[in-house]
Amino acid sequence: MSAPVGTCDERQLVERSQAGDRLAFEELVRRHADRLYAVVLRFVADADEAEEVTQDAFLSAWRSIDKFEFRSRFFTWLYRIGINEAKRRSERGAPAGAVGSIEDSPIEEAPDWSEAPEFRAEQGQLRGVLEHAVRALPLDYRAPLILRDVEGLSTQEAAELMGLGEAAFKSRLHRARLAVRRAVDEYYLEAER
Amino acid sequence: MIRRLIERRRYMREHRWTHAHLSDYLDDDLSPEERERVEDHVGICPHCRRVLRTLRRTLESLMELSAEPRPRVADGVIDRLRREP
Repeated sequence: MSAPVGTCDERQLVERSQAGDRLAFEELVRRHADRLYAVVLRFVADADEAEEVTQDAFLSAWRSIDKFEFRSRFFTWLYRIGINEAKRRSERGAPAGAVGSIEDSPIEEAPDWSEAPEFRAEQGQLRGVLEHAVRALPLDYRAPLILRDVEGLSTQEAAELMGLGEAAFKSRLHRARLAVRRAVDEYYLEAER
Repeated sequence: MIRRLIERRRYMREHRWTHAHLSDYLDDDLSPEERERVEDHVGICPHCRRVLRTLRRTLESLMELSAEPRPRVADGVIDRLRREP
């Protein structure tokens, strides 16, 4: 008799899913759905679309679970499916010929806000500035920043997930971070005027 | 005059290198020698010092940027899975 799915580790759940055990796969859904949803939400228009993409990603994972070969962690594989679907939709909705740009050079005259007491992401206005700056990043730059800095994946995991070498990944991540940092420069400069 | 020009060129080279490696510095991805190189330049360059300090605060804030949770995401996925043939 099989152990209850709630007591299984991830590898056991994947192996049972590959053998057609739907309950085992449902346990994987329970363990990863919220986290995948949170990531996907950064790439699509709204919460409803994020939920739809999350569902599509799990369905796709279920249909192709036999192709998973344990070369990465299950959630890394799952993230790749979810992010690719989210990017596909996002690019489909973009205006034809739209080219993403990134402005990451510091603003010379901006103040040093590193010690500003109100600089807390949980505070509404600044959180909004950060959210907007992240969303304004072209997708190829937004993904490294979300995976590494918001979701806390390692550089190696996030680079692998995006199909990039570490050097290319780190270069995009650095530019994305500088662009978000610059957006806060702009916010403080505006506040001073 | 020539000495000042050489120093200026050296400063700008260090400035560009430091600016390109600030993330690596914050991620602890540099060798001890490279860390020292960043710290030496940041010690004399107010511009890079400000960018480093504010970049560090930006990263701390991004970590707090968790998405609003949505109830029953897993239930919705499982409902769709169960409707799959």
